[in-house]
Amino acid sequence: MSVFSGSVLVSDGFEGLEFKWGKKRRVGGKNKDVQFYESFTYDGDEYCLHDCVLLGDPHSGEPFVGKIIKIWEHSNKRAKFSKQVKLLWFFKPSEISPYLELVPDVLANELFLASGEGVGLANINPLEAIGGKCSVLCISKDKRNPQPSDEEIKSTDFVFLRTFDVGSRKILDTIDDNIAGVDVKFIFNRAGCEKEATAVQKIEADIKEDRDSLKPIGSSASASVRNIEADINGNPDSLKPNGPSASASVRKIEDNSIESSDYGESRYGCKEGKEKCHNQLATKKSPVAEERSNKDSGVQEGTTHNEHDSCEASGSKGNHWFGKAQEKEVQKLFTKQKSMPAEVRYSNTCEAFGSRRIHSNSKTDQVNGVKKQLTKQKSMPTEERCSRESNGLDDRPQKKQKLNGSVTVPDGRNTKILQKLSSDGKKDMGSFKRPRDKVTRDEVLPEKSSFVKKQDLGVSVFEGQDRKTTTEKGLSKKPSFDGKRLKCAEDKRLADDNERNYQVIEVTQKPDAVNSKWFRPLPWEESMREAETQERLVLLQNLDPTYTSHEVQDVVYSALKEQCTARMIECIPVNTPHIGPLLPRLPRLILLGSRHHSPAISKYTSFKCDERREMPRLQHIALRVTPLNLNWQWNGACTKPDPSMRLNRYLRY
Amino acid sequence: MANEEEVKYNAFLEKVKRTVFVDELTPLASKSVLESAFNQFGTVEDVILVPNYLGPKEIPMGVLVVMQTEEKAKAILDTLSQFPFMVAGIPRPVRAKPAKPEMFADRPKEPSRRVLCRWIDPNDPDFENAKKIKRLVQKHTAEAAFVLKNQLDEAEKLATKQSETATAHHKKFEMMYKLFHDGVAEKLANRYNINMRSFPYR
Repeated sequence: MSVFSGSVLVSDGFEGLEFKWGKKRRVGGKNKDVQFYESFTYDGDEYCLHDCVLLGDPHSGEPFVGKIIKIWEHSNKRAKFSKQVKLLWFFKPSEISPYLELVPDVLANELFLASGEGVGLANINPLEAIGGKCSVLCISKDKRNPQPSDEEIKSTDFVFLRTFDVGSRKILDTIDDNIAGVDVKFIFNRAGCEKEATAVQKIEADIKEDRDSLKPIGSSASASVRNIEADINGNPDSLKPNGPSASASVRKIEDNSIESSDYGESRYGCKEGKEKCHNQLATKKSPVAEERSNKDSGVQEGTTHNEHDSCEASGSKGNHWFGKAQEKEVQKLFTKQKSMPAEVRYSNTCEAFGSRRIHSNSKTDQVNGVKKQLTKQKSMPTEERCSRESNGLDDRPQKKQKLNGSVTVPDGRNTKILQKLSSDGKKDMGSFKRPRDKVTRDEVLPEKSSFVKKQDLGVSVFEGQDRKTTTEKGLSKKPSFDGKRLKCAEDKRLADDNERNYQVIEVTQKPDAVNSKWFRPLPWEESMREAETQERLVLLQNLDPTYTSHEVQDVVYSALKEQCTARMIECIPVNTPHIGPLLPRLPRLILLGSRHHSPAISKYTSFKCDERREMPRLQHIALRVTPLNLNWQWNGACTKPDPSMRLNRYLRY
Repeated sequence: MANEEEVKYNAFLEKVKRTVFVDELTPLASKSVLESAFNQFGTVEDVILVPNYLGPKEIPMGVLVVMQTEEKAKAILDTLSQFPFMVAGIPRPVRAKPAKPEMFADRPKEPSRRVLCRWIDPNDPDFENAKKIKRLVQKHTAEAAFVLKNQLDEAEKLATKQSETATAHHKKFEMMYKLFHDGVAEKLANRYNINMRSFPYR
């Protein structure tokens, strides 16, 4: 099919960026003047067919996401853009928001694949318009789709599971066999996605091996299959950097998140996903160390581990004790690894809302975060941490014991993390470096200092880190309050479900510590704009209109433990979409300028894009207090488009 | 302390009574213009512009006019409900409504009010309800946005239509003036024996 064309450097001079064609495909066109390619290297990144790329949008600055379905070059130089790519588009929720009104549970980083026939499905763009790579995973439970691992889901930029039919303008849950002439197998995840093998992963692989040697279970048949797979992946051609950030990554966060959404998939799906992830670990290993080729058992551990994870995950399944035992084993293994020149942090957050059966809608099942941080310096002192929390909400007695000081915020939100685009990382880092945050963490959690350091080092800081981080922070900040919370959480478990012992927080006046009397506060307009640029402006909707600004500040302080300045938006009889006389109970808005950018808030910022370009583009968390009974809810938030995204001159037309 | 709060709150309520909410103002109107416009009804104590943070920019602006006495505020309401009143060349006459406490962003706290809140977790029976409300609110927001957009579109259409008619009229009158001015009309009138005196546009 393809002949490797060698390294022909085409110095076309566009922006002086490096460009190189990869494998050739067939020749087409009327006069045989169109050469199709399978891959190319542009600005240091290698792009292959069916890769997902970002394209800048000069208007909003928010990049579009597309999938390369054709690459070609016109050999006659008259064409304006000789190098062109055909892209199949992914829609962001913000782009098709009018059609999303009745679609429940749009994930934070969910995209919608264009399908059907019509404008907006796919089009041809100059190759130079490509702004960068991104990873888009298909989390559809379709049988044809190789299920992604949880780590992949965590580390991916976007996910998709539904399509948007551009002809009928409907969201479809199924993916057709053929979209825009592309076979569906290229639309789903590639079987055995490769990741680049760094030294980090090598160490990781070592760890795995160690563990594996203890638990050699499983059939060798499947292992050999995997080995073949590994061999394939060992092929340097197919070894591609997983997004721009990956190459620079010093540490690797692997978060397993299982999302069993309400689409009625079984536990089995999760297991499958887990297995997949371990397959990948195995495939990663092989390019690094060939001598480990007979490491069949290594792969098999995945199954065990997988079991262990799924046990944890499904607290309602009853084999929890088993899971715990497993965990201890793992812990032991970790201790065994103290000789390894690596700091292993293993934190596992397990949130199993036992209510799955009752609430088909609660889509958060659990987030299994396995975070491994491996230092590159061998001289680093070995540190090992294994912490774990669980806020399983079912009232099983076993679970209670695991509640070791963890305070969690039982909101109904999925803890799906919006991992910003990798280029965003810088900005996020900046916000994490804000003095106050650092100080708090450093002084309260001295033993965590290395963690903080690494967080700064980290290429892409997860917006909502792990729940754990924030909760720990909260815990250290206001121990008394959290203690109360904790107790109440425990009470809740003790109490019968029928009794439903609500923990009602009485809103107390927030201390005036921040609003020092020495300084006149900035006028609201100014501080709001400033807050907006610093991305700490938050919009709360659906509050009781009779609240005053101060009351809201107090509410936020009591419920979120955040200092903020709030301003009620006037309830005027204008038909603005959010306030107005049209309907009796329209949401009320509040602009909330938290004094410092707080991870606690950004934690909840998942995503609900706002198309309004006029006024301050609001970051709106939508912490909603319904006027009826004061139940808090998070809805979503809007993130600001990242200006550091490489801008492109070409529009998507 | 509590007493102080109460006094403050009562003062605020009294202020609300003296206030009129004026709507449909052009977004370009300034504080001084508004003050002078409402000074004819009585002494204006304060003019509070209600900022529009979220809606589209073209939305007419609202303003809170605090008068010195309650009677003056009533007078504004009466006059504006009977006569069209234009401020700073806006296309539509302004509307006035009595102000409500919710219209003030910086209103004081209602004394002796307790706010309670709680988190709900997914297996709470209220969770579903809350979710439903959330969705409803989203729907309402979308509906309101849609209606607003339609309204603005309609207004835009009307405005273009009106300006078109105005230019057409202007052209017509210009032509007639020209005809009369250079004597063509008179010549024609003589030619066809028409009495020019009966012609209205003379």
